[in-house]
Amino acid sequence: MHVGIDLGTTNSVLATFDGDTMTVVPNAQGEVLTPSVVRIDGRGSELVGRRAFRFLETDPGNTRGEFKRLMGTEERLRFEASGRSFLPEELSAKVLASLLADAEAVLGYRPAAAVVSTPALFELPQNHATMKAGQLAGLAEVTLIPEPIASAIAAGWRVEAEGVWLVYDLGGGTLDVSLLETRDGWLRVVDHGGDNFLGGKDFDNALTDWAAARLAAETGLPPLSRTNPSHRRPLSKLKAACEQAKIDLSRLERTSIVCAEVFSDPQGNPVDADLPVTRADLEGLVLPLVERSLDVCRSVLEKNRLGPDAVGRVVFVGGPTLMPALRQRVGGLFGGRVAEGIDPMTIVARGAALYAATVGLAARPAAPAAPTGLVVRMEHPAVMADTEPFVVGRFLPERGEELPVRVRIAREDGGFESGDVEVSGEGAFVVQVRLERHRQNRFRLSAWGARGREVELRSPELAIVHGVSIADPPLARSVGVARSDNTVLVYFEKGTPLPARRTAIHKTVQRVPAGSAEDALAIPVIQGEFSRAHLNRLIGSLKIEGGRLKRNLPAGSRVEVTLQLDRSGQLHARADLPEAGESFEDVVHVLVPTASPEVLEKELEATQQRVAEVRRRGFSSGRPALVRTMKGAADLLAEARAGLEAARGGDADAAARVHRLLLDLDGALDQTETELDWPTLESEAGDEIENALSWISAHGTPAEQQLCESALAGVAEARQNRDAAALDREVRVLRSLRHAAFVRDPQSVFLVFDWYQGRAAEATDPRQAQALIEQGRKIAKKGDQAALRQVNRQLDELFPGSAADRRRSFGSGVR
Amino acid sequence: MADPGAECENHLQRHLANPFLVLELVPNASRDELERQGAKLLALLAAGVGGAASYSTPLGLRERTSEMVRAALAELRDPARRLLHEWWSRGLAGQLPAAAPRRSPLPE
Repeated sequence: MHVGIDLGTTNSVLATFDGDTMTVVPNAQGEVLTPSVVRIDGRGSELVGRRAFRFLETDPGNTRGEFKRLMGTEERLRFEASGRSFLPEELSAKVLASLLADAEAVLGYRPAAAVVSTPALFELPQNHATMKAGQLAGLAEVTLIPEPIASAIAAGWRVEAEGVWLVYDLGGGTLDVSLLETRDGWLRVVDHGGDNFLGGKDFDNALTDWAAARLAAETGLPPLSRTNPSHRRPLSKLKAACEQAKIDLSRLERTSIVCAEVFSDPQGNPVDADLPVTRADLEGLVLPLVERSLDVCRSVLEKNRLGPDAVGRVVFVGGPTLMPALRQRVGGLFGGRVAEGIDPMTIVARGAALYAATVGLAARPAAPAAPTGLVVRMEHPAVMADTEPFVVGRFLPERGEELPVRVRIAREDGGFESGDVEVSGEGAFVVQVRLERHRQNRFRLSAWGARGREVELRSPELAIVHGVSIADPPLARSVGVARSDNTVLVYFEKGTPLPARRTAIHKTVQRVPAGSAEDALAIPVIQGEFSRAHLNRLIGSLKIEGGRLKRNLPAGSRVEVTLQLDRSGQLHARADLPEAGESFEDVVHVLVPTASPEVLEKELEATQQRVAEVRRRGFSSGRPALVRTMKGAADLLAEARAGLEAARGGDADAAARVHRLLLDLDGALDQTETELDWPTLESEAGDEIENALSWISAHGTPAEQQLCESALAGVAEARQNRDAAALDREVRVLRSLRHAAFVRDPQSVFLVFDWYQGRAAEATDPRQAQALIEQGRKIAKKGDQAALRQVNRQLDELFPGSAADRRRSFGSGVR
Repeated sequence: MADPGAECENHLQRHLANPFLVLELVPNASRDELERQGAKLLALLAAGVGGAASYSTPLGLRERTSEMVRAALAELRDPARRLLHEWWSRGLAGQLPAAAPRRSPLPE
């Protein structure tokens, strides 16, 4: 049995997969959706799910929901009456524990392992928090899966159709748009986009604001405002009534927002709400949000140079997609090619359960093994598109047990038998089996000893389901190390399958004295796609502190940095110092920043200034594309400003939202700046081409010359598409080819020395640099290339990049 | 600038982790061969079969891990990236000293 959990912002679902059927497990109330809500009263009693949800509007101080939005932050959520406070992952753990208890009631045992889904755009700290929630809930093993992959698996695992899919997942708090492809039975994520802060809650907020305005107009009282802390409770009540009205309008043309005693007027009289609302009213309110979601769809398609016609099927996921107007509008973009017959509320959990089978994550806690028989360990895919996969096995005999010499695997239905297969000297065997399509295939392994006697085996059965094979979850953004010259060494490119591990070599750029608490060497780990380090996001920093060093670490020391990303995106970093014989290991643990409203205000001001500057540059260059970007920036700034007001009113969620909006704006401004810098980039590329051609034609090998041709073709294509990232990539290839050709020139050592001679003042130690230059001049006169190369090497260590570059590269101490 | 020595070493490490080398496949291997070989290597590694834990390169045997097999599979599933690796794979075969012939330690 395999278990999958959709840990949602609003509701959570647990599903099981037994190899043939996916089943959603109901909770104690008999419902398949468990609200992700926790309540703790003054006596410390805890309620989770539906029973807690009932208190959300009447007792918001002691009832918490939507904490998924804050996962990975340090924001502690307080329960007023008990005085207790919890991190978002601790509250998520309570929801998970409640779901596992429901599963125990059905399965007869508490699941020990499960796959938990997360939004595709969750970053490493958020994934880390989700893993921790699973562990806190008592799961011995937790694997994460991006929600769109889970949806596509559930929607398509038994579908023969091949082609491109689009998963439109609008949850309570997030929108994920994913482009997937099924080819040769393999399902892979091509790309994804989304908005971490667009969800059903925004639909509810739009309706709540409208209802508050209508109520104010009817009563003549000032409207309820999210910026006013004392309005929190009445707004919460009104919002709950609006949510109900929104659900009603999925099947009715008109209804009413009904809420008794929303608040009291200045005379102390209770004010009730009974506001008629039509489906058209709601559609008018949410249309801008739906359009914003369509922009995300278009952007993902454009990025992959696809039109809506290329999408074969659209899969809707999440409660808000039940809204008829939304289905019509989004489905309309794709010619109505919508996957039907799928429950958008439970599809993610179903897919997660199926994925648990593909990664062999069994929910049942390990049972004591049968007392007799030879132990055999068999490895095979649990779900596979290939109809003729391999089964690999290895016998693990105990003292005195005979090792079999041949094995055979037979399908239980009698439709396949492998024939005899030899067992290797170390007790291993590889057998190719044949599967019946789209069903669970059960097999039995038999083994014989040297004298032809059948050997008793402890667990000879195995099962493989024929279905879709799933490519490993890809990394959403590239991860690398920032170097002191503000360049990036990319360890894992965007799209790298997880888990992943890579070791690379760096050299230190500063001396770290042993025992010094003040001196430390930073190895910043960043995430992003830009070749200049400072444009990417810092996600962690490995610190080699002087206080932990046994001996001095001179500048230029070798550092072997290993980054290891597990399937769930948790990042482990290790730095080995072979010369010092020491290792520094750490889990890179960075929180999603939780800025105070004051800090956010400063960030907003800085962003406004940057927008103004980019706009000024845009006007002076007269570029239509930039005018469009500036319009989007103004909208985002306005949204951030409104959010900041709510953040001042004590809404921590709004603060996180503003932070994210500002980060998005920064990203958009980066792109605009790249667009503005295009003429410079092109001119730099031209210079590099000219430079590279002269060296490669003179000193390049035939293979390098061919690669140069290929890079030049890439440059031409990048220029045609005005693709700055692609241009940057091709220029980097040319640069490395030029470098290889350059070092083959016997004169190169003198040319390198000339470069240092002209820049002595820029060295980290100009006096030492000057002394080396004097020494080099004498050697150069004698024409001793080998000795001059040594001098160049020593000089090189004094030029790790300018001070400004180092500041911008998050203080990187390595190159 | 990046340290040239470290840079060279990092480049070399990348080339020696060429997906075709890791998967022990020829550059014109079909998609089916690729998937099957990947799944087989992953199973062998999971079962702890000794021979699967290393692979031949022009500069001798190197350690092979399941992460490397997964990464190699992902690289070769992408047609554009595969083309680049085919190129490097052929280049490596042409430029570096030939690998010492090695009898496959994997069970047939």
